Amino acid sequence: MNNKIVKLSLVLFVICAITAGILGIVNALTWERIDQITHQKEYEAYAAVLGSESGYTEVEFDKAAFPTVDSVNQSNDGNGYVVTSTFSGAQGSITMACGVGTDLRCTGISIIEHSETSGLGAVAASTSSAGEAFRAQFVGQDEGIALSKAGGSIDALAGATITSTAVTNATATSIKCVASLG
Amino acid sequence: MNRKQQFKEGLITNNPVLVQQIGMCATMAITTTLFNGVGMGLSVLIILTCCNVVVAALRKIIPDEIRLAIFVVVIAGFVTIVDLLLQAFIPALSAALGVFIPLIVVNCIIIGRAEAFCQKNTVKDSFFDGIFQGLGYTCVLIIMCVFREFVGSGRFGGGLIDIANGFRFTLDGTGGGIQIFPEEFGASIMNLPFGGFLTLGLLIGLMQYALKKSEKKKKAAEHAAKEAALKEVEE
Amino acid sequence: MLANILSISLGAILINNFIFSQFLGCCPFLGCSNKVDTAAGMGLAVVFVMGLASAICWVIDNYILIPLNLAFLETLAFILVIAALVQFVEMFLKKSVPSLYSALGIYLPLITTNCAVLGVVLLNVQNNYNFIESVVYGITGGLGFMLAIVLFASVRERTQFSDYPECFEGFPICLVSAALVAMAFMGFSGMKIF
Repeated sequence: MNNKIVKLSLVLFVICAITAGILGIVNALTWERIDQITHQKEYEAYAAVLGSESGYTEVEFDKAAFPTVDSVNQSNDGNGYVVTSTFSGAQGSITMACGVGTDLRCTGISIIEHSETSGLGAVAASTSSAGEAFRAQFVGQDEGIALSKAGGSIDALAGATITSTAVTNATATSIKCVASLG
Repeated sequence: MNRKQQFKEGLITNNPVLVQQIGMCATMAITTTLFNGVGMGLSVLIILTCCNVVVAALRKIIPDEIRLAIFVVVIAGFVTIVDLLLQAFIPALSAALGVFIPLIVVNCIIIGRAEAFCQKNTVKDSFFDGIFQGLGYTCVLIIMCVFREFVGSGRFGGGLIDIANGFRFTLDGTGGGIQIFPEEFGASIMNLPFGGFLTLGLLIGLMQYALKKSEKKKKAAEHAAKEAALKEVEE
Repeated sequence: MLANILSISLGAILINNFIFSQFLGCCPFLGCSNKVDTAAGMGLAVVFVMGLASAICWVIDNYILIPLNLAFLETLAFILVIAALVQFVEMFLKKSVPSLYSALGIYLPLITTNCAVLGVVLLNVQNNYNFIESVVYGITGGLGFMLAIVLFASVRERTQFSDYPECFEGFPICLVSAALVAMAFMGFSGMKIF
């Protein structure tokens, strides 16, 4: 009986070890590329919202006052900041990069990650003309930014008021966060 | 084993989703654009074929008591490999399918085929079984995607086909698809969970109708043949 | 902290219900919803296992896999943990709480292949939840599953008396009624606790 258990666990262990070994090899072959892709996506998002020739430097901010903000990156060109924040949308969390110029006006937004409904909230991140038009409205807005139904000038995406509100609020938070840096 | 028979079983008479009614979570969740559907279908096809081959090759050494544990380890291994490869080479697909790629591990199709088929059959048969069952799964996904995308947003081939710069296939999920009628007129509820449940329900209903009809036809034909034979005897 | 936990719970139970908005756990959901009693038993077992699995997998992920740079083994490790956990829970219940075992016993083996369990563990990692948030998400996700399956079982008991086309017998009519329940759950989307 004991012998059998030992044999069974041995077989299971060997199979697990072989699988883990193969996975290790595949991981070693792919992780560099995956890492690169993740960073590239971030840099592309940064560049889309605030162009910078010489890169970005991360700066400290008041995390307690702005819990949704992940990082604030100052452009080395001195033309503003890129704020990344993670907040909840209609379906799950949204990660967004928001460019803020030195005049405390938004220079553009770019959604890095989201799990919004395809065809509704997901339009906010898509490359379609509706998505581009939605994001273009944010350029030049200040911290008083709001949806048109709340007295502002941002037109919400059709059928995706929650996503639109969340993105608008996050933009306002990003601008306030930069303003608090002084 | 008869390949034609196997092909027919995988695609129609023993289709994993429509007839065996397994592996439905992902089927309903990700079928919102053709890009997702094709990507998910092919991922499952590759994983299923690899697992089938490995399980069939190991079928004589695997002790019966822990066979399920071993199947799960083998499946999880292949799923992780596909997951890593997708992250590295088709990041758009990996982002779109999200948690449903690792969840292929618990997709009943794969463990079901290992248990029901590969344990008792040769490597070659299992290989073809994997391909045909995977194709059957992919077909269902494609039908659902095309239907939901068309009704929901009036589009065909979202993410996969790009017609803005001449007709071409895009592998990075950026293609806009072919707009058949304006998106505003679409019933966007079909893109939501409601549409997933409804489309799959209608599809399975249709399949049951078709199977029943063909069975009736077969029976009627058999009956007629019998009658004819009886008549001949009588005469 | 409390607001955070409340919003996770509300999200897991109603807004992002595991079945009606994320499609996790559909197989047992359709398989075990014939009767309200069975549905409640299955639901309870899932709450139990999801809570435990979230806790254990969080510890394994944060204290073993991440420090050793083995994050790519997550899927493999989690599914083994869940399978082993289900076995242990079954043996433990059989020995020490026979009354609970007789109620939940037959559902336990089915849970290993329930994608809601593996799903909740993977989502915990994806959402970067800390230990308490993970456990809360696991338990409330299970409660959401239970709510969905019990509600749906009562709907399904009714479909037996209704007159639908013959070819919709079985799964199709279930899926169509599930679609209607899912539509009702859409009403919760966008609810928030501030």
